[in-house]
Amino acid sequence: MIFQKTPTRSNNDLELNRAAAEASAAAHDEVETVVGPSVNVEGDFASEGNIIVKGSVAGSVHTSRHLSVEQGAKILANVRAGSAKIAGEVKGNMKVKEVLELTGTAKVLGDIEVKTLIIEAGALICGKVWMAGLEAEVKAARNARMPIKKSDETMVVPLA
Amino acid sequence: MEISLTDFGIAGKILRINNYTDAKTVIEDEVKRGAKTIVVVGNDATLGQVLSRAATVPCTFGFLPVGGNNTIAGVLGIPVGVEACDVLSRRRKERLDVGWVNNRYFISQLHVHPAEVSVAYDERFKVTASDKMEIIVCNLQPFFWKRNKKDKDLEVVHPQDGKLEAFLRPLTKARFFGYNYEDPSIFPFEEMEITGEEPFVVEADGKKTKEIKVKIRLAQGKIDMIVGRDRKF
Repeated sequence: MIFQKTPTRSNNDLELNRAAAEASAAAHDEVETVVGPSVNVEGDFASEGNIIVKGSVAGSVHTSRHLSVEQGAKILANVRAGSAKIAGEVKGNMKVKEVLELTGTAKVLGDIEVKTLIIEAGALICGKVWMAGLEAEVKAARNARMPIKKSDETMVVPLA
Repeated sequence: MEISLTDFGIAGKILRINNYTDAKTVIEDEVKRGAKTIVVVGNDATLGQVLSRAATVPCTFGFLPVGGNNTIAGVLGIPVGVEACDVLSRRRKERLDVGWVNNRYFISQLHVHPAEVSVAYDERFKVTASDKMEIIVCNLQPFFWKRNKKDKDLEVVHPQDGKLEAFLRPLTKARFFGYNYEDPSIFPFEEMEITGEEPFVVEADGKKTKEIKVKIRLAQGKIDMIVGRDRKF
């Protein structure tokens, strides 16, 4: 029985390994730039393809596609990306065209401008968040707020 | 193989080269005598030795991979052995890019042995590591690496034509002695400059030199090469 079981297990393992290898190969095909751990990048870091950051980057980061900042990675730069997933630390303003995902370990110190924002519990943000689609309502609210202030002033005077 | 070539009507002069033969002068002489196609027979080392010197010669190159250590053949879609004659006879031509390093070309791979170096990419950003760094620039030869010493599976990254890819592997000091390799960083680039405060070993197409500053560029469409249908670019 033992000898019957082992080949099936090894076959399964082989298939799993093959699948994992294929998956990793596919991932490598998609990934174009990887900043590994214990590597420091300084300057205007721009790429046409996807970027994965595991180390540290200082300066500016720009990609028209996906940016992934892994846990333990640090970015001290302004970031512009098509979409992004942050699990590390970002000190700088972020401008993301489509989706920005902040995982539970993410720390962002800077303003965020994004279309869709996903925040997991535990993520830390210190800065303004600006999302497109509410411009008209913001303008209306500002216009509406101005007369209220004036009326507040007039109200204050008789009380004093 | 010779019989198979004769069957396809491919015939020509056979020249045997050794480590001390300058392939460029030999090929230039043959081109002057009227040769239009040069077929390299051997492995990655042979192809590298010939094309690194003769990339600028205006002729078409073919490749018949024979024996072991033939990884470039797979990228070019040429099967190893007699089947390669079939690919040669079909004469499907592609213009290939080659790497250019300090006034000479490299075809397969450029390897900077672990050293304390810094790398500037396209004069825009600079990459440094806290300790030593190993750099591999792939042109046509795939890059095989292991995550760590215990890892039994080799990770493979297939190079793409049209750009050079640099793999940087920083080394961190091990607990007692020696070094451990970190996960590699991958940067596609068109031009990069490696500088070190002390001379470092550079191995291009199997030839080792010591340099203090290396400039690597992509020379596009330099080689007319006969490739197979199953090529990886």
